Formats: sequence, C-alpha cells, structure tokens
Amino acid sequence: MPAWFTPERMTWLFRVNPALKFAVFLLLLFITLFNRNLPLAAWLAVLSAILLYGFSGYSAKKLALLSIPIALSFASSFITMALFGKGDTVLWQWGIFKISEESIRHGLLLGTKSLSFGFTGFAFLLTVEPVLFFYAMMQQFRLPSKYAYSFIASIRLLPVIAEEIQVRSNALKVRGITFSRGVRGVGERIRSYTVPLFAQSIRRAQRIAIAMEAKQYQMGAARTYFYSTSYSRHDAIFLAVMAVSVAAVFWLSFGVPY
Amino acid sequence: MKKLTFTDLLITIMVGVVFGILMKFWDDLYTAIKPVLPVARQLLYGMWFMNGVFAFLLIRKPGVALIASIAGAGLSAFIGHGLGVLIYGAAQGLAAELLFAAFRYRKFSIPFAGLAGVASCAASFGLDLIYGYADLETWALIVKYGLRAVSAFIFTGVFAVLVIRALEATGVTNSIRPVAKEEYSLLDR
Repeated sequence: MPAWFTPERMTWLFRVNPALKFAVFLLLLFITLFNRNLPLAAWLAVLSAILLYGFSGYSAKKLALLSIPIALSFASSFITMALFGKGDTVLWQWGIFKISEESIRHGLLLGTKSLSFGFTGFAFLLTVEPVLFFYAMMQQFRLPSKYAYSFIASIRLLPVIAEEIQVRSNALKVRGITFSRGVRGVGERIRSYTVPLFAQSIRRAQRIAIAMEAKQYQMGAARTYFYSTSYSRHDAIFLAVMAVSVAAVFWLSFGVPY
Repeated sequence: MKKLTFTDLLITIMVGVVFGILMKFWDDLYTAIKPVLPVARQLLYGMWFMNGVFAFLLIRKPGVALIASIAGAGLSAFIGHGLGVLIYGAAQGLAAELLFAAFRYRKFSIPFAGLAGVASCAASFGLDLIYGYADLETWALIVKYGLRAVSAFIFTGVFAVLVIRALEATGVTNSIRPVAKEEYSLLDR
C-alpha cells in the first residue's frame, strides 16, 4: 500500500479480525443489494457513513477526497434512473426524458444504495492490511493456502505490472503507432497492450509457482503461518456493535412511522 | 477431468489481477465518456466480462473462469471500486464457467467464447434487476442491455480469442496448456 494510505490513528476497527470484518461487511452489502425499501436504504447508508467517517481513523481531508467518486456514483445513478426510470405519475417530460414520482423515488433508492456500497467498501479497505486479510482468511475461515498465496504473490507484483503498462504505452508512443477508429481501433488497442503484458505475466507467474514448489510448497498440506491471526475481545465488541446498529437501522426503517 | 496444478492456479489469479489493473485504466476511459456518449459507453462495457473467458481460453481447465473473475474483481475492489464489484465478479465468472461446463470445457472458438461473455452479461443483468438498476422504461432497458450484450460478445468472443491466438504465436501458452489426445497420438506414429 502506498504511504498515502496510512491512517492518522488506529481505531478499534483496525483491531478486528480482518476475515470476520470482511464477512460482516459482505453481509451488509448483501442486505443493501436485495433491499427495495427507501428508508432502510437511507439508514444503511447512514450506518456505513458513520463507520467510514467516524472510525476509519483517516483525516477529514483524505476522507473528503475519497468521497468524491462515491458522490459521483450517487449522482449518476440518481440522474439516470430519474430520467429514464419507469413511472406513471409524470412530473416533467421532454423528448425521451421523463421524470415521474416513481422514478425519482427509485433514483433516490439507487443513489442511497450506491452510497452504502461506497462507504462500506472504503470502511473495509481503509482499515485492513491486505496480507493480514489473506492470513486471517486461511486461519479463521479455512481458505485453502493455494488461493491465498497466489493472491499475495500477485498483489506483490502489482507495481511491476503497472510499470510494464507504462513502458508499453511509452514504447507505442515512441514508435508512433496510431490506431484505427471505431471498434477495430478498440481491438487493436487491446491487442497491442495485452499481448506483451500477458506473455510477461504468465511467464512470471510460472516462475514463481515453480520456485515455490521447489521450496516444498504443497497444495493442501498442513502448514504453519508466519503471521498468526486470531479472534480477540475486539471481535466480540465489533459483533455486538454491528448487531445493535443493524437492529437499530431496521427499527428506524420499519418501527418508526413516517 | 484435468485438475488445476499450483502453476495453473497462480497463472489464473495473476491473469485475473492483471485484468483488474487493465479494468482500472479502462474505467478511467469509461468514466470520461460516460456523460457524453451513453451508447459508446455501453459498447465499451464488454471489457468487464473478458476476464473469466480469457483465463479459460488460456488455461482450458475447469474452475479457471470463476477464479480469474473473482481475482480480477477482488483486485478492483482493493484499488477502490468497493466490495460490491466482488459480488458482480463472482456472478459473472460463475455464468461463464457454467457455459463452458455445459460444453464439457471443450469449446474454445469465437462463438462459444462470445456466448460465455453473453452469459456473464446476463448474470450481471440479473444482479442489476435485484439491485434496481434495471427498472428503466422498456425502450431504455432494451437499448442499454442489448448494446451491452453485443459488446460482451465482441470483447469476449472476438477480442479475447484474437489476443489468445496472438499469445499462442508467442509460444507462451505451450507450457501451460493440458496436453491434448492428438498430441499423445503423435507419439504412437
């Protein structure tokens, strides 16, 4: 992770077991995905906003920067749905654009859902160490080590791949390569970037796998771990807090008349 | 059935991760033209279905399409698209995987690769229906997802197969593909 992604302070969210945190947040996302109730969507967005802004431990400036794409996705899903969504109580119509009460309501639902998705996603990603996440997945959730180590190895190589894309892009520029217009051009562009990129990545992956097996890495063999992760009292607190908050969100959405 | 070796798995996940990065660059392009050219935007959408199909065409073993798709989506999630894409990635990969499984993992040509892309597209449409993205006026729905399906076919069928052929020409695929029956029979001659 680049240095930019270091929090100002370590909050309790950092100390929660990463795999457990992942499971709970994924559950939140599934509730958001299947939900069609506007108050519930809005309160879920509030809950995830509290998690992100209150407990991620990042400075307000960084959080504001990170919020820009989330705000954009709110705006774009709201506007598209408001203009093109289904609805009978028409408020305004001009050519193919038609705004109705239903479409506005639906747009708001979509918008708040994308807010929840964005906030929850960042609340997780900003408070998790990728390598420890995979170690916790192996130790607490029994993810087979072959998947976890493959991911860790691939993530380690990200900077190399990003650099290769840059080099390729410069090389094409220096050689004065131009692409055709339209679909053919898209195809040419994809081909000229992906072929060298994948050829290199495949060879590299193969070398790493052979090196690991040469050092006696075996799929499915019992093993010990360099970083040991476990459950702690922070996890109990986290589960309790999340259970109470989700219950509160449901009560606010369905128990309170509007 | 041919099982995945550790080398296969590492290559699969690496391919997924590289796609994750490519999708990041693609996303920048996509976002730039999103407001101005809604039609072109749907036509570029097929890139998001390429990952699983491409990995399967490369390695030609069961499970590859699903794993690569999840890996790519996982990387996208980690570099800032949020955990939501993980759900989409898993569904799309599963759809492509099921399509290849339906042909017993033996078809690698343009129509089948394209169909797998369209299956991924259908899976993402299913999730959009659940999420609520698809509650559009009927004409808008048909235009949006129709174009998207066409794009899925072009990207996963035509582009992925062509890139794979170019990779085959480099020789890099020889060492990773399972040995076919015909190649064994060559030994008997």
